[in-house]
Amino acid sequence: MDFAVTTLLNALTLISILMLVGLGLAISFGLMNVTNLAHGEFVTVGAFAVYFVQSIGGSFWLGLLAAPIAGAVVGCILEFAIIRHLYSRPVSTVLATWGVSLILQQGLELTFGLGAKPVTPPIEGTFDLFFTVYPAYRLILIGIAMATLLGLILLISRTSFGLDIRTVIQNREMAEGVGINTRRTYAIAFTFGAAIAGLAGGLVAPLAIVLPQMGVNYLANAFFVVIVGGVGSIAGLVAGSVFVGGLTSILNYQISPSLAQAIVLLAAIVAVRLRPNGLFNGASR
Amino acid sequence: MIARDRNWLLIFVVCVALAILYPFLADGYQLTVIRDALIFGLFAASLDFFWGRTGILCFGHAAFFGIGGYVMALVTLNDANPFGGLLGIVGAIAGAAFVAAIIGYFLFFGGIRGSYFTIVTLAMGVICQQAAVSWSSVTGGDSGLIGIPPIEFDVGGRNVDLSQDLPSYIFVSAIVAVVVLALWSISRGRWGTVLTAIQDNEVRAAALGHNAPLRLLVTFILSAAIAGLAGALYVCMAGLVAPDLSGLLLSTEVIVWVAVGGRGTLLGPVLGAIFIQRAQQTISSFNPSLWPLLLGCVFVIIVFVLPDGILSIHARLRSLFKGRRQA
Repeated sequence: MDFAVTTLLNALTLISILMLVGLGLAISFGLMNVTNLAHGEFVTVGAFAVYFVQSIGGSFWLGLLAAPIAGAVVGCILEFAIIRHLYSRPVSTVLATWGVSLILQQGLELTFGLGAKPVTPPIEGTFDLFFTVYPAYRLILIGIAMATLLGLILLISRTSFGLDIRTVIQNREMAEGVGINTRRTYAIAFTFGAAIAGLAGGLVAPLAIVLPQMGVNYLANAFFVVIVGGVGSIAGLVAGSVFVGGLTSILNYQISPSLAQAIVLLAAIVAVRLRPNGLFNGASR
Repeated sequence: MIARDRNWLLIFVVCVALAILYPFLADGYQLTVIRDALIFGLFAASLDFFWGRTGILCFGHAAFFGIGGYVMALVTLNDANPFGGLLGIVGAIAGAAFVAAIIGYFLFFGGIRGSYFTIVTLAMGVICQQAAVSWSSVTGGDSGLIGIPPIEFDVGGRNVDLSQDLPSYIFVSAIVAVVVLALWSISRGRWGTVLTAIQDNEVRAAALGHNAPLRLLVTFILSAAIAGLAGALYVCMAGLVAPDLSGLLLSTEVIVWVAVGGRGTLLGPVLGAIFIQRAQQTISSFNPSLWPLLLGCVFVIIVFVLPDGILSIHARLRSLFKGRRQA
C-alpha cells in the first residue's frame, strides 16, 4: 500500500513539473507555431536563480520569487530580439533558438563555473501521510504547482487578457481585425510561459542536479507532453503530463532511468501515430 | 544540361582535382586531418540529402552516425568475424537504415512533419546517447570501446592497409566523391523533383498519385544509411567509439555544417564541414569552452545574415550592389 502511494506521489511530483514546463511550450509551440529549443534554458535559468540567491545569503523562498522573474527577463529578451522576427520562418526559428540555448548554457558555465550547484530545500524532513512517509518539500512542490495551474486556468478563462489569447489562438487574422494587438499578445504570452518554466526550474532545483546543461532533458519531455496531449487546451496539457510523467515514474522503479526514458519516447511516438491530434483534441483548428 | 547543373559539376570536378593534388603538397598528419574532416563532410552530405530535398529538419542525425560507429566497433572487435572491417561497414549501413526505417515508418505514416519531426528526432538523439552510456556491457559506457582495427582488404592480389595515411585518405576521398555524386544524380532526377513537389504541397503531390510518406521514408532511410557509413568510417580510422558520436552536440554541429555550406547543394555541406572543423580546432586550442559559445552565435548569425549559406554571399553582395546602383 505505501509503495503504491509513494509511486503515486513521485508521479505527481514529476507531472507537476512537466505541466509547468509544458505550459510555456504549449503557448509557443502549440499556439504560436514557434519551435523554441531554448525553452529548457528557462528551467535552467530558474534553477540557477535559486542557487544564486541562496549563495549570496538569501532564503529559498526569495530565490523561488526570483526564478520566474529571471525566466521572464530571458524570455522577454529572446522574444524581442529573435523570435518575433522569425514568425514566418519555422526552420530558422529552430536554428536561432538552439543557438541561443548554446549561448545561455556556455554563458552560465563561464559565469558560475563547472560542476553541479548545490541548492538546499527550505524544509528538511518528512511528513507522515498515514499510509506512508514522504519528503515534506515534495508535497509543497506539488501544492505550489497545482495552485499555479489553477491560477492559470482562471487567468485564461476569466480575464480579458485570457480572452485575447483565446481569440488569437482561434484565428489570428480575425483577432487583428477586431483590434487585438496580436504581436503584443504573443510577446506577453511567450514571456509568461518563460516565467512559468523559470518557476518550475526554481521548484525542481533542490531535487535535481543543477547544471547549465540540465534544460535539455526537460525540453525533450515537455515537447512530448505537448505533442501527446495535443495543443490548444489545458486538458491536453494535463493529459500529456500524466502520460509522460506517470509512465516515467512507474518505469523508473523497474528499470534504469535511461531505458525508462527510451520506452516513454517510443510509447509517445506510437501514441502520436495512433492519435495524431493528441489524446485530447481541444481547440478546433 | 541546364546551367545550374553545369556549374555544380564544374565545382565538383575542381574539388576532386584539389583532393587529388593535396597529397603531393601535404604531409601525413595534414592528410589525416583532412581525411577525418571529409568523413564528417560525408555525414553532412547525408543530412543535406534529406533536409535539403524535403525541407524537414532531422535534429538527431548523429544517432545514425553513432549507430554506424557502434555496429562497426562491435563487428570488428568480434573474433568470430572472418571478414573484418568490410562486414562492419555493411552492418553499420544496415543498422542505421533499420533504425531509420522503424522510426521513419511511425513518423511519416503518422503524418508527422515539420517541427514535430524535428522534436521527435531531437529526443531520439538524446535517447541514443543515453543508451550508449547506460548499456555499458555492450557499448563500454562512458569510456566507449577502444582498439578497433583499421580496415584491410585485397584488391587484385595487393593488400590495402588503411592504417597508412595515404591509402586511407584515398579510400575516404573516393567514397565521399562517389556518394556525393550519386546523391546529386538522385536529387536532380525524377526522385528529387517529386520530393520538391511533396515539400511544396504534399496534398497536391499525393493527388497526382505520389505516395508521399513512402518517398519521404525511403529518402530518410538512405540518408541514415549514409550517416551510418560515415560513422563506421570514422570509428575505424579513429580506432575508438564513444557516446559523444551519437550526441546532441554532433547533431547540431552537422546542422551548422549544412547551413553554412548551403542547404540543398550537397557539395556545400562537405566544404562547410571541412572549413568549420578547421576553425573549431584553431579556436579550441585557445579555450575549449569557447567553441559551443561561438557555435551558438554562428547559428543566430546564419539565420539573420546568411539564410542560404556561405556560397550565397556572392549572390547577396551582387544584389546589394545592384540595389545601390538603382537607388
